Amino acid sequence: MNVTLRFILCFFIFPGFSFSQQFTISGYVKEESTGESLFGTNVYIKENLKGTTTNQYGFYSLTVPDTSFTLVFSFIGFQLQEFPVKLNKNIRININLKSNAIEAKEVTINAEKEDRNIQSSEMGRQTLDIEKIKTLPAFLGEVDILKSIQLLPGVSSAGEGNSGFYVRGGGPDQNLILLDEANVYNASHLFGFFSVFNADAIQNVTLTKGNMPANYGGRLSSVLDIQMKEGNNKRMGMQGGIGFVSSRFTIEGPIKKDTGSFIVSARRTFIDLFFGEPFVKKGSSISGNKYFFYDLNAKVNYRLSNKDRIFLSGYFGRDVFNFKSPDSEFFVKVPWGNATATARWNHLFTDRLFLNSSLIYTNYKFEFEGGQNDFSFKLFSGITDYNLKEDFTWLPNVNHTVKFGGQYIFHVFVPSNATAKAGEVSFDIGKILRQYAHDAAVYINDEYEINEKWLVNGGLRFTLFQQVGPFERYVNDPISGEATDTLHYSQGQNVKTYTHAEPRLALRYSINHLSSLKASVSQNYQYIHLASLSSISLPTDTWIPSSDKVKPQSSIQYALGYFRNYNNNTYESSVELYYKSMQNQIEYEEGFLPENTVNSNLDNYFVAGKGWSYGAEFFLKKNKGKFNGWIGYTLAWTKRKFPDLNNGKVFFPKYDRRHDVSLVLSFDISKRWTLGATWVYATGNLNTFPERVFVLSNGDILEDYGGQRNNYRLAPYHRMDVSATLKGKPHKRYESSWNFAIFNVYNRYNPYIIYFDKTYSADKITIQAKQISLFPLIPSVTYNFKF
Amino acid sequence: MLLKFISRTFTSLQIFFRALLKFLFSTVGALNKISVFGKKYLLIFSIIFFITSCEKNVTVEVPVASEEIVVEGKIETDDVAIVLLSHTLPFFGEINTSEILTNSIIGATVIVEDDTEADTLVQLSPLYGIYIGNKIRGIQGKKYKLTVLAEGKTIHAFTSIPQSVKLDSVWWKPDGNRDSLGFAWAHLTDPDTVGNCYRWYAQRINHYTFGPEKGKMKDSIFIPAPGSVFEDKFINTKSFDLSFPRGRFQFSSKEDDSNDEEFFFKRGDTIVLKFCSIDRAHFEFWRTEETQVQNNGNPFGSPAPLSGNIEGGLGIWGGYSPFYDTIIAR
Repeated sequence: MNVTLRFILCFFIFPGFSFSQQFTISGYVKEESTGESLFGTNVYIKENLKGTTTNQYGFYSLTVPDTSFTLVFSFIGFQLQEFPVKLNKNIRININLKSNAIEAKEVTINAEKEDRNIQSSEMGRQTLDIEKIKTLPAFLGEVDILKSIQLLPGVSSAGEGNSGFYVRGGGPDQNLILLDEANVYNASHLFGFFSVFNADAIQNVTLTKGNMPANYGGRLSSVLDIQMKEGNNKRMGMQGGIGFVSSRFTIEGPIKKDTGSFIVSARRTFIDLFFGEPFVKKGSSISGNKYFFYDLNAKVNYRLSNKDRIFLSGYFGRDVFNFKSPDSEFFVKVPWGNATATARWNHLFTDRLFLNSSLIYTNYKFEFEGGQNDFSFKLFSGITDYNLKEDFTWLPNVNHTVKFGGQYIFHVFVPSNATAKAGEVSFDIGKILRQYAHDAAVYINDEYEINEKWLVNGGLRFTLFQQVGPFERYVNDPISGEATDTLHYSQGQNVKTYTHAEPRLALRYSINHLSSLKASVSQNYQYIHLASLSSISLPTDTWIPSSDKVKPQSSIQYALGYFRNYNNNTYESSVELYYKSMQNQIEYEEGFLPENTVNSNLDNYFVAGKGWSYGAEFFLKKNKGKFNGWIGYTLAWTKRKFPDLNNGKVFFPKYDRRHDVSLVLSFDISKRWTLGATWVYATGNLNTFPERVFVLSNGDILEDYGGQRNNYRLAPYHRMDVSATLKGKPHKRYESSWNFAIFNVYNRYNPYIIYFDKTYSADKITIQAKQISLFPLIPSVTYNFKF
Repeated sequence: MLLKFISRTFTSLQIFFRALLKFLFSTVGALNKISVFGKKYLLIFSIIFFITSCEKNVTVEVPVASEEIVVEGKIETDDVAIVLLSHTLPFFGEINTSEILTNSIIGATVIVEDDTEADTLVQLSPLYGIYIGNKIRGIQGKKYKLTVLAEGKTIHAFTSIPQSVKLDSVWWKPDGNRDSLGFAWAHLTDPDTVGNCYRWYAQRINHYTFGPEKGKMKDSIFIPAPGSVFEDKFINTKSFDLSFPRGRFQFSSKEDDSNDEEFFFKRGDTIVLKFCSIDRAHFEFWRTEETQVQNNGNPFGSPAPLSGNIEGGLGIWGGYSPFYDTIIAR
């Protein structure tokens, strides 16, 4: 709290604003050919380099004294635009920027403002260029945003077959994944092999690894903010692709030229078609099987007036797995997926005050149904959010960017529930339990440029989380584990309320135009938890709220960074150090079995502990030229301590990575050919292996895990992928490209799991460790078109 | 070449599916039947995709752990106690069957007590650590304390023999489209007390009429079914039909334990059912034991530690209250 107070004091002493005559220049920046808003465009005064950047709706506003100056609009990959401005009243300038790519010539502009990495107060923030990602190698040709961000320093992949990622020692539930502001609770298809984000429908991807500005909240480790494309408001267009795994198709176009547009994008896998006729005979043993996933993204926007614009966007995706045995009545059906819907309204109160109002719905659900003869069983879980958000941006003068607003979410959690019956008899496996919670926040954040040397970014977020009835708390007998009592809460009745203040502060000190030092500290609270029985994120993982049993998780993160650019900003480099401590981390108690939760609450079986992590991240990136890319290296330690796990001793969690290296290279050979390569190296994951065994008289060999948790480290993971993209000969109305990729070029057999095979023969039992590797060298071809 | 790559990819997905399904099945302990079928069909499914291609043997070095004493003891209604004592073994390598026997602990003092008297168990053979009682016979509703003094350690355990619960009726019926293979069925009415736990055994007492084992009794002893234990958490006071597949021992070399007849009773079998009521700690041990055996090699389950009731060692000291009935499969 002491820290909190200091933050508040420091933050609320707003420096006095100057009272000389000031005017505002504001407007929207768009991409010329499509009319898409350009998020992150630098808008600045050439003479003194003071300026701002556009928000995610492409809006900018600069308030300066009445003078004459040259206003510059710059965005990497676009042609720079300059305007002489004589400011004696408030003016509006809307700008269309032209892509450089069309002319394919070397970027030569005044690059003073391209050093955003140096000049901003942001640390641990990365924006990914979707077009660039598309030329990099992708597994089976499926361009995957979540896999791409794992190539950044400080972000660890959980391995193959796992789209969960780990940021600076935090768990996969500590990442806020937003798609057009809607929370995506499970971002993976096919148990983690592919992400739910169809790159054809995505405009921007921004990852913040720490010190999130106060307008984001609710997670400890990172924010992955993904924005869908708005759709071309100039002309109708179509694009699509055919790959090994899925096919994609997108259509976009104006509703009214320059005023409104739409985009609809769909993707579906087609492997399941090969399980039906004519490929497989009817009645054969695999004919009843089916697996597919699909995604649908849609967005509409319309400019009602110069001051008002509305957006409607939605996502719907499902995975479906069906298994039916042909010669008995055994079957399994497993559907799961996300649905989101976002309605937004941008309103400009004045040239300096921008409001975005959002109404958001998001849902994730998982179902598992199985049965045989007259026995059937169903398991389901999920989460639904209803969310209202008001976000103001106030730009009082050129030195301040103030963001404030609030958010309210009503959560409905359905932790694991099951129903089962045999014939007419239903088994009593508990009532369907739901948990309800109010989740509210207000925040204010100011980025204040004190002078050329110092910039301070401070924010404060107040959060309230309240679990409310209807709810039933089963009180378990500590010895037998049987429910002995039940507490009933009626509708709307308070079960437990938490309120917290979450301050954050970041400083930048410019050493010179080429280098800066940054420091930040932030405190975060998280009120929802992902209960994962296995160490891999699976669709069966269950989201549960903080409750009377589970306290909110919290973290304090300190970070320090040195940023330096070289060679006219051609190269950017950084070193960041961090220390993060986390409280109230949860795990299932030792020996937990899922059937324990029948007639009980899931959170009766959690144990809480603390964690901490520290490390250093090194990053070197070449931004320009035919040959570009980056290398990132992370040296890190992550630890956990739970009174009820590992005999209360400190242990390393499964994804503690000592070393993590990513190398990304891209080379434009000619106008038509681009080569890409990635190489990753990561210290092996930790596993818990038994220390001893014993044999019972029935011949079963039993394992005893008496010792240290995570006592064995698997072999390191490393892999190289390469790709080549060939653009088709340029046509007036038609573009096409081929992407050839090879995954795992040197055919490394990376460990996925190790299991112990026990073989019995007449005179002996042999226990042999066997390693399963998922993917050998795999080539793929993808064809993309656009017209 | 390309085909091989594709098949490998499928293989990988297969491993994944198989393991995932296994994980999902294991989430419902009582659903052993599906589990058995899941395994069987997924195996067929897997073979189609050449499952072995991405697997290799590796050497894993885990720190050497100290040796512990293992107790496997039971006492049944109307019978004397029997206790086996042995040591734990290092995790890796080969275990010779002879080693299992020589690994047993001889010369220990093993005492079983009820509320009135004590019975010192007698070592059955000078070579092996098998101890048999001679005075105390199990009685329903009584508690039994086990004390073991061996190798300077003192081990204690407690168990009880609950009241037995009857099966209302038992029968056999063919499964699905099969005409001569099926499960053993029973109708159970769970009593009005919370916390009943059960263990299901069966023994075929008819003889093989052909094949290498011709003339031998099909099962020489009672064999627990796969997922043999269950509790009344789901089913308290309910009256319903339940069925169990046929169990097998790990060491079994019987033909019908590996061919189409695996898990099934065959038309013509005479099946003796032994339906035991057991106490909660005893149930927990077998539940975790069976979970561990089923979970073997599952990458998605976290390690499944065993739950035992032995203070100072590993294993189980359990009381059984059996109810017997016989089915003639026809």
